[in-house]
Amino acid sequence: MLADNKLKRFHQLIDDFSYEELIWINGYLAGLAVNSNPLIGVKPNGSENKSASTKKISLVYGTETGNSKRVALQFAGIARKQGLNVKVTALDQYKLDDLKNENYLFIVISTQGDGEPPPQAKLFYDHLHQLSLPLPNLNYSVLALGDSSYPQFCKTGEDVDSRLDAMGSKRILPLQKCDVDYDQDAQQWFEQVLKFFQQQTGYDVETIPKVETTHQPRTKKFYEGNIKTNINLNDRGSNKQTYHIEIDGNGVVEYEAGDALGIIPLNKKILVDFIISLTGCDGNQIIETQRVEATIEQLLTRHLNICYLNAAVVKKYAIITGHQIPDNRYDLVDLVHEYPLRDASQITEVLNILSPIAPRLYSISSSPMAHGPEVVHLTVSRHSFRVKEEQRYGLCSGFLGELPVGTPIHFYIRRNRSFKLPLLDKDVIMIGPGTGIAPFRAFLAEREATGATGRNWLFFGDQHFTTDFLYQVEFQNLHSTGVLNKLSLAFSRDQADKIYVQHRILEQATELFQWMKGGGHVYICGTKYPNGKDIENAILQVIEQEGHLSQEEAKNHLKQMEQENRYMKDVY
Amino acid sequence: MKNEKLSSVERIKMDSDGLRGTLKESLNDEITGALQPDDQSLIKLHGMYQQDDRDRREERSNKKLEWLYSYMVRLRLPGGFLTPEQWIGLRHIAGEHSTGTIKITTRQTIQLHGILKSHLKPVLKSFNTMHLDSIAACGDVNRNVICSAHPMQSAIHEEVFRYAEKISLMTLPKTRAYYEIWLDEEPLIDKKEDDPLYQDRYLPRKFKIAIAIPPNNDIDVFTNDIGLIAIIENNQLLGFNIAVGGGLGTTHGNENTYPRLGTIIGFVDTEEKTLKAIYEIISIQRDLGDRSDRKLARLKYTLDRIGIETFKKELASRCGFSLEHAKPYHFTERKDYYGWTQNHIGKWYYTVFVENGLVRDTERVSIKSAFLDIAQTGKANFRFTGNQNVILSEIAEEDKPAIEKILVHHGLIDHTNTSSAMRKNAMACVAFNTCPLAMAEAQRYLPSLISKIEPILEKYRLQPEEITIRMTCCPNGSARHYAAEIGLIGTAYGQYNLYIGGDNLGERLNTIYKVNLNESQILETLDALFETYHTEKNNHETFGDFSNRKWIKTNS
Repeated sequence: MLADNKLKRFHQLIDDFSYEELIWINGYLAGLAVNSNPLIGVKPNGSENKSASTKKISLVYGTETGNSKRVALQFAGIARKQGLNVKVTALDQYKLDDLKNENYLFIVISTQGDGEPPPQAKLFYDHLHQLSLPLPNLNYSVLALGDSSYPQFCKTGEDVDSRLDAMGSKRILPLQKCDVDYDQDAQQWFEQVLKFFQQQTGYDVETIPKVETTHQPRTKKFYEGNIKTNINLNDRGSNKQTYHIEIDGNGVVEYEAGDALGIIPLNKKILVDFIISLTGCDGNQIIETQRVEATIEQLLTRHLNICYLNAAVVKKYAIITGHQIPDNRYDLVDLVHEYPLRDASQITEVLNILSPIAPRLYSISSSPMAHGPEVVHLTVSRHSFRVKEEQRYGLCSGFLGELPVGTPIHFYIRRNRSFKLPLLDKDVIMIGPGTGIAPFRAFLAEREATGATGRNWLFFGDQHFTTDFLYQVEFQNLHSTGVLNKLSLAFSRDQADKIYVQHRILEQATELFQWMKGGGHVYICGTKYPNGKDIENAILQVIEQEGHLSQEEAKNHLKQMEQENRYMKDVY
Repeated sequence: MKNEKLSSVERIKMDSDGLRGTLKESLNDEITGALQPDDQSLIKLHGMYQQDDRDRREERSNKKLEWLYSYMVRLRLPGGFLTPEQWIGLRHIAGEHSTGTIKITTRQTIQLHGILKSHLKPVLKSFNTMHLDSIAACGDVNRNVICSAHPMQSAIHEEVFRYAEKISLMTLPKTRAYYEIWLDEEPLIDKKEDDPLYQDRYLPRKFKIAIAIPPNNDIDVFTNDIGLIAIIENNQLLGFNIAVGGGLGTTHGNENTYPRLGTIIGFVDTEEKTLKAIYEIISIQRDLGDRSDRKLARLKYTLDRIGIETFKKELASRCGFSLEHAKPYHFTERKDYYGWTQNHIGKWYYTVFVENGLVRDTERVSIKSAFLDIAQTGKANFRFTGNQNVILSEIAEEDKPAIEKILVHHGLIDHTNTSSAMRKNAMACVAFNTCPLAMAEAQRYLPSLISKIEPILEKYRLQPEEITIRMTCCPNGSARHYAAEIGLIGTAYGQYNLYIGGDNLGERLNTIYKVNLNESQILETLDALFETYHTEKNNHETFGDFSNRKWIKTNS
């Protein structure tokens, strides 16, 4: 990074240089830097690949759960070992002005549940779409991460890919979309990237770790489990309903503490049967949609959203059936009732316009190491769906907490690799008000099971001590056995003045800062607003006050911790 | 006693640094609603019990919540008296911090239940502003001193009532722990808290003192460790007969435990001698009481172990004087005088029947609202009887109509007049859901049982008989079940042992008659007993005397 005045001088210097000259200078400077500092980069494997190694290659990522970041850092590491000079930048750190100077830009970007870019990439995304200048010198490829259970699967990646194309940049590799089990697809894409540079330069890529190359689309693994236990943790008289749900996976479930569990809520049988009888189609007929091949009944029950259809779907329905339908949101059953199909065969077209059922994600509150690999525990609040969008879909299907023991559950695991426990000897600070407690119950159980030697500090808060102290007995036991070194509690409505976890954080500023300074890892889980924001502000205040730093320095300090994976958030 | 192993409570008291223990730390521990185990013992000497809602244990455990801990706070209220201002304050505290129900105990004081740990200090601070405290209301110390409750009965009531206060003050622990822990008083830097009476071990067990004014034995004087019987001649208080060694607690299956009525050991005349005798009776129990087995630690066992004569000699040597021979006295009744009565100088008193001492509003009668309205007039004091009732007292002639109007409005007069004689002579301990010792229901079950007994009484035209019935949830219960004509003692959930043959005045204990009866067996048995009583009783023969003659004496 250059100071503004130096950057200005540099721009003046290269103002009238040609493209080729700039490339040369870029390589020349990179070489100078490598030779002057043995810690930066590694010398290329041979003289022939000089031009490849001197290409300016940027790898940027936009992440929410940390998966894109993980992929980007991993690939950059491999690339550097291959002698490719790859610069990795988080999109919120990326200087938008640099875009016009890029030669090679590789973008790893995820999509939020509602098709939005992750907040970290929002500025970049908007900037890209507002930019009027073409970017003809740019070579690019996009690796899109997403969850195929959502209607807007990899939407942000698609948008970025097509936008760059529209701006005249050169797509050197087609867009690669990845589902939640992204490892293989991502690796294949990256191999293609390396191959591309090899072809450009004759560069040797033999040392890349081999990955099985299969070109079948990757699908995530679904489990068929049953609800084993379902308990409302809040006592009588509480304003809250928080359910502790144990799911028997009927076999090993591959997950780790900190991951989330996704459930595709099933549509009600009575609605599905009604739709089938109204349309006169055969529920057992097998139909192939864009994503799956299944019977009509199966599609309507477990794959497609039939409730509160959005305007685009309604419009398409109107075209298919030839009805005039006023703009509104409808359930499919109402549409087929009031605006019937011309004949039963039209059902195929209709099924193809429906969006997939959006999954609901829940933080897992168990650890396979502590609770056994065949069960998954959830901590689910009645009003804590993780994505706003899902509340709408919630109209259709029963709430998880209402499901009786024995109910079959079709679920998958959504990895959250950036929300993982550190090494056993590291101190851990966990801040999880309300259902934000879920992953920390898992963490603490795992720390106990693995005999971790680092200290553990939990901040928890809710409304009332008597009724809302989730997992009280478990935490008491962990505290008395010494696994949980500190337990700081905030019950907001037990006294006249509201007390929240952020107040407890500030009260314990000195000790908290010592834990952080000693290499402690800080985790936050819970709702983003207001909890996540207030907690982060409190932590910044602790750093500022105890570290005697300015506001700006405190922010940088926290950012530094974030980059070192010592500050992790799972907020929703 | 010195060679025997001390009970664990003895160690806790000795190590407590003047009853401080780790109470401050326990109160600040936000993780639990409970106290550290040792502090649970200590807090009793501060007038509180840690309890939990036993009905909710299983459900709470399923929810991964600890038991629902709360605290009972019992006031130290010698003689059982509150001003109207204090009643208003008490009611406010009860509403804000407890279940809202104000419980009148069998020892003339007030208990509030269901107070959370975090509310304890605010509660005690509020009481303090009203000049009320809970010091030594529970635990191994002299408990609340009780006194015949009916001031209208005798011109010297006031004089006797003052003794309750004096005894209470004399026997207060000297430690400042209560003030430091609950009222945030700064600890003394150079702490010297010599307590010549309690020293550092306090007493081996609870200790109870009562003062009776004949002819009414309303406070069951013989069930106390020390019972004072006021001796009055020509409206002059001559002094007191002293009875020692009363106590009703027993343990199921422990043959070494037994209920015992107090033994009169003599008479004292002056105030100085009276207080000195009481002090030294306590000091004997302090030094000679059993500190290894709490079940055998009450004064009654000490007394029977060393013998009455030895005890009297020891007392005389400690006092520096001997007791005189006991004076004659005569109890003719043991009851509250429900309704309106007037004393010798024309003040009015209204005794309200409060079933089980529970001051609350129900569909039938709004006792709590009525008492608030009355307190707000400022025209009546509140006195509590040993039978858990309330006497609205010292009401001037001109204020009587206003008080009467409030009583009528809230249904209290109707309630007091129409409740059956048996119901008004009934007593039950707290039991479920908060008493940790409870084996069976008592307070919340007895009223409905009485509703089923009433038709039987009616069948044999026995409704006017003032038969005392008392139920406890375990043999330690506080309802003085052995001193009743019908005693029911819980043995397991829904099961009771039936005791009969106690007298109506509290001078003869009852005897076990049937064991482990369920409700229908209780009703069947009573039906048979009442039928026989109805056909065979002599004139004016009480049920207790008849039962004793008919079924108990013949057996023994």
